Amino acid sequence: MSGYFRQVCAIVKKDVLLEVRSRDRITAMGSFAVLAGVLFNFSIDTTTTRPQDVAAGLIWMTLIFGGLLGVGRTFHLEAQDGAFQGVLTSPVPKDAIFLAKVIANFALLYAVSLLVLGVFALFFALDIGPNLAWIMVILALGSLGFVALATLFAAVSTGTTMGETLLPVLVFPLLVPMVVFGVGSTGRLMSGRPFDEVEGNVRMLGAFAFAAVAAGAVLFRYVVED
Amino acid sequence: MSTAGVRRGATGLTLLGLAGLIGLFWMSFFWVSTEVNQGIVQRIFYVHVPAAWTSFLAIGIAALCSGVYLWLRDEKLDRAAVCAAEGGLVFATIVLLTGPLWGKIAWGTYWNWEPRLTLTLLLWFVFVGYFMVRNATEDPEKGKRFAAVVAIVGAIDIPFIHLSVIWFRSLHPEPVVVKPDGPTLPGDMLATLMVGLGVFTLLFFGLFLFRYALEGLRSEADLRARRPAS
Repeated sequence: MSGYFRQVCAIVKKDVLLEVRSRDRITAMGSFAVLAGVLFNFSIDTTTTRPQDVAAGLIWMTLIFGGLLGVGRTFHLEAQDGAFQGVLTSPVPKDAIFLAKVIANFALLYAVSLLVLGVFALFFALDIGPNLAWIMVILALGSLGFVALATLFAAVSTGTTMGETLLPVLVFPLLVPMVVFGVGSTGRLMSGRPFDEVEGNVRMLGAFAFAAVAAGAVLFRYVVED
Repeated sequence: MSTAGVRRGATGLTLLGLAGLIGLFWMSFFWVSTEVNQGIVQRIFYVHVPAAWTSFLAIGIAALCSGVYLWLRDEKLDRAAVCAAEGGLVFATIVLLTGPLWGKIAWGTYWNWEPRLTLTLLLWFVFVGYFMVRNATEDPEKGKRFAAVVAIVGAIDIPFIHLSVIWFRSLHPEPVVVKPDGPTLPGDMLATLMVGLGVFTLLFFGLFLFRYALEGLRSEADLRARRPAS
């Protein structure tokens, strides 16, 4: 088991190091998130809608679009030079590779989601202070579920002739629970409601994330075989 | 079973289904009593609900066959999964057409993001994704594996989507059959609905077997085409 853990850590370390050195995806996702916030500001008629009322939805949509931008390219770099074949032929179980990719992507997306939260709180004058810890937990659960699904289907779409264009078609229909439970809970917490009111949503979000990670870990080997 | 046998079974089931469909239409237009509040438009229910049931049955079959296909790698299972997914796509389309028709009169709008209708729309997109992935690979074997993964993840996600649907505010009529304290639907309506469920299931399996036989013939033809001319 410790061997398994070490293998996962090795791949996570490799991917995080690669990201820290190149800063490709984090720059793209981070700029996307901030710019989306700017565009959202101009897309809301503030005379009819209070930005605070729709901010939770905007945060989650930015996470999804920004996440696809980065997570969709998970296998891109490695696929280019056939490096992923090297990872696959190494004596690491396929589910360990999947879990490592999910952890690395999660670290990336969670960093972006905290940035989104901060930027949107600033842009739309959100009062996130009182429930900040819970909002961060909810964003973590949502990011984890999203990353698990998106990583699995990024591997699928990288293997097709359509590439990343296929990813939204495959992932978006499956993300509805994440949006419903995520927006439902963060929206209410941001408007100052107590945590008890959204506990069910958070539990469901956790179950969704767990199911997504488990399904991905089991099915990943069938996507990357040969 | 031989391809000829499958075709005989398909013909039998489909004919039975079509005969049943005539009976179902007769029942829902002339026999069953009109619902008091919704009026005549409620009769679309006897097509809408059975089609919905069939499309969810289809994703179940597609996911099950896909799962076992990934395990055993038997071509027949992949073939069955494709046929079920195709049937599911057709019946989900029927749900998406009949739902808004009813909604226009009952709710005053064709589409209102009613969660259960949304669930069917999402299921429809899962089926679309299934076929897109399948056709977007150079190696057909890869396409089969990818499609199987889409079907399985889709089927796992359906309960979550369904729950999020219940969580979300709903305008949809509440369930009238499957409830803890038994159905509240009047007898003749329940009978018509049950006939509808039976007929659509028969039709689905009839069409499913036809498609299955067709896929079998197609792979035979492929084999023959590849064999060098002697």
